[in-house]
Amino acid sequence: MYTLALLNGGVGTRVAAGQPKQLIRVNHIPAMIYPLIAVDDIPEIDQIILNFPAGWEDTMRKLVADYAIKTPITYVEGGDTRHASVRSMLEHCDNEHVILHETARPLVTKAEFEALIAADKDNVSFMLEIPFTVAPVDPDTQQVTGSLERARLRNVQLPQKFRKTTLEAGHAYAQKEDVVFTEDATLCAVAGADVYYIPGNDRNFKVTTKTDVRLAGYLLAGDDDDA
Amino acid sequence: MRKTILISGASKGIGLATAERFFREDNDVTDYVLLARKSDDFAEAEKELLADNPFGKKVFCYEIDLNDRDAIGQLMPKIIEKHGNIEFLVNNAGYTAPDPIHEIDFGDFERTIGVNLYAPFLIVQHLLHLGNTFEYIVNVASTAGITGRSGWLTYSSSKAALIAMSQVLKEELAIYGTRVITISPGRCATALRRKLAPDEDPTTIMQPEDVADAIRMLTSPVGRYVDSENLVVRL
Repeated sequence: MYTLALLNGGVGTRVAAGQPKQLIRVNHIPAMIYPLIAVDDIPEIDQIILNFPAGWEDTMRKLVADYAIKTPITYVEGGDTRHASVRSMLEHCDNEHVILHETARPLVTKAEFEALIAADKDNVSFMLEIPFTVAPVDPDTQQVTGSLERARLRNVQLPQKFRKTTLEAGHAYAQKEDVVFTEDATLCAVAGADVYYIPGNDRNFKVTTKTDVRLAGYLLAGDDDDA
Repeated sequence: MRKTILISGASKGIGLATAERFFREDNDVTDYVLLARKSDDFAEAEKELLADNPFGKKVFCYEIDLNDRDAIGQLMPKIIEKHGNIEFLVNNAGYTAPDPIHEIDFGDFERTIGVNLYAPFLIVQHLLHLGNTFEYIVNVASTAGITGRSGWLTYSSSKAALIAMSQVLKEELAIYGTRVITISPGRCATALRRKLAPDEDPTTIMQPEDVADAIRMLTSPVGRYVDSENLVVRL
């Protein structure tokens, strides 16, 4: 069985000043509700760990009650960093397998979670091909320092799944080496685990800016179906 | 698989005709939860349904005044407890007391909004809060909600609001895969129509069974291609 750890803890102001980022609403529905509904009927996921920014637990609990999410939810306060948040969520994880997702990706579908669970490896991330060219640079001198082969690079998405012990080992490694990663697939790979990817969908993008929110709302409303 | 339909205003008219239409058909809708005010019609409706029950279906009648918000709040958990998930909901109950603005009794206006708008809202909201997942919701609106006529202020206003509410629900409940279907019958031979047009010969206009057939079509697979609109049916 799987635990969904839903990252929801960091306070960001990029979309709406004064509100934590995870209370972004897409079509007026809180973004965090979309993934909760997407997984609620998946029998393999029998625990959800939802983290919340300090002071927001009551709001989260009320929303979960209002939207009648049936899967049992463990509420964990978010840490100062993503590493800290994931580590504190892992302590509450009752299953051998963990799925990581973030509320800032509300367009994720039930089918994507099911495909991730069905993938035959233990540690798997959705990833996307990169449709543009990226260059390695030295930001201090603004010098281009070489080239990167696009075919061997991927845009890392969520959700991802890991064996719990793999994720724990990855975070122990980061602590020991005092290194910071912005996501967990590359962290676990660098820490020595076998991590794989399956192709994602560009609809499942991260909602970061006001424009992203409008675009997500447009896609969710399905208003693009006229001839 | 047993599936349950909840129909409000099921003692007569379009509500009863819709219940009969589904009840006498070989389909997976096996349990009929019928809501109406206490009346001889309601008792008779239950008997009539059960008297001709070719597929061994079940009927459960609940007497309720849908203008009573507390009563709705108390009944919905009982219904979920007894029947489990309600897959199909037909918000059909309607009330009208037609009067021109100079003569409208505010209590009648409140009752009209209470039965025609707040009741469908409360039924849906209570059931959602109880974790119910609908396959579809049918809201029976009216052409009166599209075009106002002298004397219909309260009724037209309530149905216009119901049409708007349905559009919103359609978008908000899409994440659950719930279809929200709005049908607006024109003049139809019901007791309510008799209040709106007392001098009309009811045999010359659309019958409740015709509207029930249209609802059946909208809820069928082909209905998916039609249900994006508030479907007007009229003779």
